[in-house]
Amino acid sequence: MSVPTAAATTVLGAYGITKRYPGVLALDGVDFEVACGEIHALLGQNGAGKTTLMKILFGLLEPDEGELTLHRRAVRFRSPHDALAAGIGMVHQTRRLVMAHSALENIVLGHPRQRGLLNLRAARQEVEALCARYGLPLDLGARVWQLSEGERQWVEILKALYRGARILILDEPTSVLTPPEVQTLLAGLQALARQEGVTVILVTHKLPIVTAASDRVTVLRAGRVAARLRTSEATEAALVQAMVGREVALRASRGDAAAGPPVLRVEDLAASNDKGLPALRGVSFVLRAGEVLGIAGVTGNGQDELAEVLAGLRPATAGRIYLAERDITRASPLERWQMGMGYIPADRTAVASIAAFTLVENTALTYHFDDAYVRRGLLDDAGLDALTQEIIATFNVRTPHRRARAHHLSGGNLQKLILGRVLSRRPRLLLAHLPTQGLDVEAAAFVRSALLEAKAEGAAVLLISEDLDEILALSDRVAPIYEGRLAGVLTRSEADPATVGAMMAGLRR
Amino acid sequence: MRIGPYAVTLEERTSLPAGYSVLTAVAAIVLALGLASVLFRSPEASLPDAYRAMFTYAFANPHGLSATGQRAIFLLFCTYAFLVPLRAGLWNIGLPGQVYAGGLAAFAVPALLGVAHAVPSGPAALPIVAGMVLAAAAAGALVGGAAGFLRARLAVNEILVTMMLNSVLFWLVAYMIKEGGPFMSATGEGESFRLPAGLQGPTVAGMPFTAGVAVAAAVLLDVLFAKTALGYRIRALGENPLAARYGGILPVALSLFVFAVGGAFAGLAGYHYFAAVPGVYKIPGNYGYYGDLAFYGVISALIARRSALGAVPIAVLFAGLSLGARFAQGLLRLPFGVDYALLGLLMMTFVASHVVLHFRLAWRRARPTPGGRVPADAAEG
Repeated sequence: MSVPTAAATTVLGAYGITKRYPGVLALDGVDFEVACGEIHALLGQNGAGKTTLMKILFGLLEPDEGELTLHRRAVRFRSPHDALAAGIGMVHQTRRLVMAHSALENIVLGHPRQRGLLNLRAARQEVEALCARYGLPLDLGARVWQLSEGERQWVEILKALYRGARILILDEPTSVLTPPEVQTLLAGLQALARQEGVTVILVTHKLPIVTAASDRVTVLRAGRVAARLRTSEATEAALVQAMVGREVALRASRGDAAAGPPVLRVEDLAASNDKGLPALRGVSFVLRAGEVLGIAGVTGNGQDELAEVLAGLRPATAGRIYLAERDITRASPLERWQMGMGYIPADRTAVASIAAFTLVENTALTYHFDDAYVRRGLLDDAGLDALTQEIIATFNVRTPHRRARAHHLSGGNLQKLILGRVLSRRPRLLLAHLPTQGLDVEAAAFVRSALLEAKAEGAAVLLISEDLDEILALSDRVAPIYEGRLAGVLTRSEADPATVGAMMAGLRR
Repeated sequence: MRIGPYAVTLEERTSLPAGYSVLTAVAAIVLALGLASVLFRSPEASLPDAYRAMFTYAFANPHGLSATGQRAIFLLFCTYAFLVPLRAGLWNIGLPGQVYAGGLAAFAVPALLGVAHAVPSGPAALPIVAGMVLAAAAAGALVGGAAGFLRARLAVNEILVTMMLNSVLFWLVAYMIKEGGPFMSATGEGESFRLPAGLQGPTVAGMPFTAGVAVAAAVLLDVLFAKTALGYRIRALGENPLAARYGGILPVALSLFVFAVGGAFAGLAGYHYFAAVPGVYKIPGNYGYYGDLAFYGVISALIARRSALGAVPIAVLFAGLSLGARFAQGLLRLPFGVDYALLGLLMMTFVASHVVLHFRLAWRRARPTPGGRVPADAAEG
C-alpha cells in the first residue's frame, strides 16, 4: 500500500493549537494532521511539546487556542471519555493495568458494555478474534504480572482496539522493550495500519524507531512544528537537525581503554528487592581504573538492586564488595562517599535531589560531611556557592539563579547539576544508573561525554543502562544482566547488538 | 476559569514580594477578629468595647501583660518542641506528655534531695535550681526520645506513640500530686507541694529567667537550621528522606536527636509553667489545662513554618488573645468558649493566608500575542 496523501484522507487534524502553562508556552500554533492507515511519528526532544500535543489529542488537556477536527469536522474533547467515544485510543508509556487480573479482564475493564454483569465468554471470543486477525499469540487467561513488558503493551493496544479505536496514540512504546520485542511491536503496528486501516501515532524520541516504522514524521521543537516529512525522504541527520535546531554529533567518541588497577571488585553479590524476593543472585565482576563497564539489561532484571547495594542503600544478602581492596560490604553510604565512590541514581527527583532546596543546598548534599566545606559545624555557604557556580558553568546548567529551587530545573539541567556535583568530588569509582534516561539528545550527549571524561581522568565507571546504543557507545566491556545474574562479560569487540540483545533477553549465555 | 475577556488561573508564586508575609499575617489577624465579631456581640457591651477590653487586658494591663508574657514563653517552648522534629519531617504531636514529664522531673529534684520543705536560699539554692532545669529538659528528652527511637528503629508511627505517652504521663502526674502521692501538698488539695522561695525560678525585672532562655533558643534554632551542617542534615531528612540517605545522612540517629531536642524543649515548657511563673510554683490540680494549651505550640509552629524567631510574635499574639478573650468573656458575660473560638479562627485565617502568600490569581487576556520561550520541563507536563 502506498503512502496515502494527507489532503485526501486526513482523519485527525489539529490546527493552530496553542497551549500555555504558567510562564511557559508549551505549544505555539501547531498544525498536525494524520491520515487514515498511516503510521505517523511525532518526534521531538523532551520539552518540545510532544506530550502536551498528545494529551490534547486524547482529551486530557484542552487547548487554549486552535481546533481539532475528526474526519474534517470540528470536534471538542472535554475529557478522554470524549476521545475514546470518537475512536481514539492511547497507550501510555507506563502500563496502566491491573497486575493481578488476567489479560482478558484488563481488556474488558471499563468497556461501555461491561458496566453491570461481565460476559467474559462473549468478550473472550471477540478478543480472540482480534488476536487471530493480527497474529498475536497472547494468552488471554494469563495474569498480567506473568506477562512480559511487550505482552503487557499488547494488552493495552488490544484494550484500545476492543473499545473500537481506529486511531492509536502510543507514547514512547519501545522504551522498556527488548530488541526482539521492538521488532514484534513494529511489525504488528504495520500490519494494523496496512490491513485494517488503523491510524497509529508514535510519540518517540528514538530515531531508529521512526525510520524503521513510520510513513510520515512530524518534528516538534520548542512548541512549534520544525519539520513535516515523508520518512522515505528523511535522513537521520536531517531529523536530528530538525529536533535540536543544529547539528549534533550522534555518537560520543570513546577514548582508549588504559586498564588500570582494580577499583571495584564484586564477589558473588546477592540482594533482595523491596518485596523481600531475591533480585540479585550472585553477581561477580572486576572494574578497573580508567574503564567503563556497561551493565546492559531490560528494566527489572536486578539493576536497581545492584546499584543500591553498591551505593550502600540496600543490604547485601550474600557476597562481598571491595573498593580499592577494602571490604565495603557493610559500609554506610557516608563512608562510601568519603572513600571516593560517586553515585548517580536513576531517579533524579526522588533520590538524587531535593526539590524544595536551592541548587546550592542540593550541592551540599554530597558536601555536608566534607571538612573542606564545614568549619566548626557551620556549612561554608560562600564556598558551596562558588562550587555551585562552577558546576553550573562547567556543566552548562541552565537555571535562572543558583538560589533557585531544584524543582524549577528541567530534567536535563537537573541531571547535569547532579552529575557535576558527583564528578566535582573526583570519585575514583563512578556508579551511573540510567544517566541519560528521559534526557533530550543534546543533554544526553553532554552527560555521555562527561562520563567518558571522568574515565579518561582515571575513574572506574560502572554504567547501568537500558539503552543498548548507549552501552555500546561508551563501554569498554559489556555485561548483560538477566534475572539478577550477569549473562557474561563481553569485550567491546565481542559485544555486537545482536549478541548483547539476545543475552539481555535471556536467550543465550 | 474565564471572566469576560480574561482567563483566570491560580498560579504558584516563584518569588515573594517584600513585606508580603507580614502583610498577609496582619490581614489574617484582622480577618479572624472580624469573623469573631459575631461571637463577641453581647447585650452588655458594644463590639468596640469588647475588643477594647480584650486588647487592653492582654497588652496594656500590668497583670494581663505579665500573664501574656508567661503564657507566651510557655507557648514558645512548645513551639520549638514541635518545630525541631517537624524540620526532620516528624510530628511531635503529643508534646503535653513531655511537658508533664518536665514538670515532674523538676519537682523530683527537691523531693529527692529532701529540701522540698526545708528552705535553702540565696546562692546555695542555685545549683538545685539548675538541677531542676536540667532534669526537666532531660525528662522531656527521654519521653520524646522514646518516640523518636521507636520511630527510627521500628518505624512505629510517632504520632500514635506520643499521643499514648500523653495519657501515661497525665496519669503519672495525677498519681504523684494527688492525696497520698509523693509530691502531694501538705494540705492535700489535689496539687503538688509548693516550691520554697529559694527554689522558685529566678526573675529579672518581674519576668522569669526562662524568657531569656526562650528568646536565646529562638536565635540558636534559626542559626542551627540556616547555617550548620547538622541543621542542613535535619532539613534534608525532612524534605526528602531518600535523598538524605543517598547523601550519607543517618536517619536513625537524626530522628532520635530531633525528638530528644523537641522533648527537652517541652520539658522546659513544663519547668517554666510549674516552677518559674510567679504565683504558681506548684503543679496545680488543673495541670491538664496546660497540656491542652501546649497544642497551641503545634499551631504556632505550623504557622511560623521555618522560623523559630518568627514564632515569637505568633506565640505572644496567641497568649495575649487567649487571655484577653477569657477576660472579656468574664467581664462582659460573653458566650462560653469565645477564647478558644477566637484561637480557632486565627488558626484558620493563618492557614488560608499561606495559600494567599504562595499562590496568586493570574489574569490574562484570553488571546494574547503568541511568543515566549519554552523551558524543557513545564512543556512536557
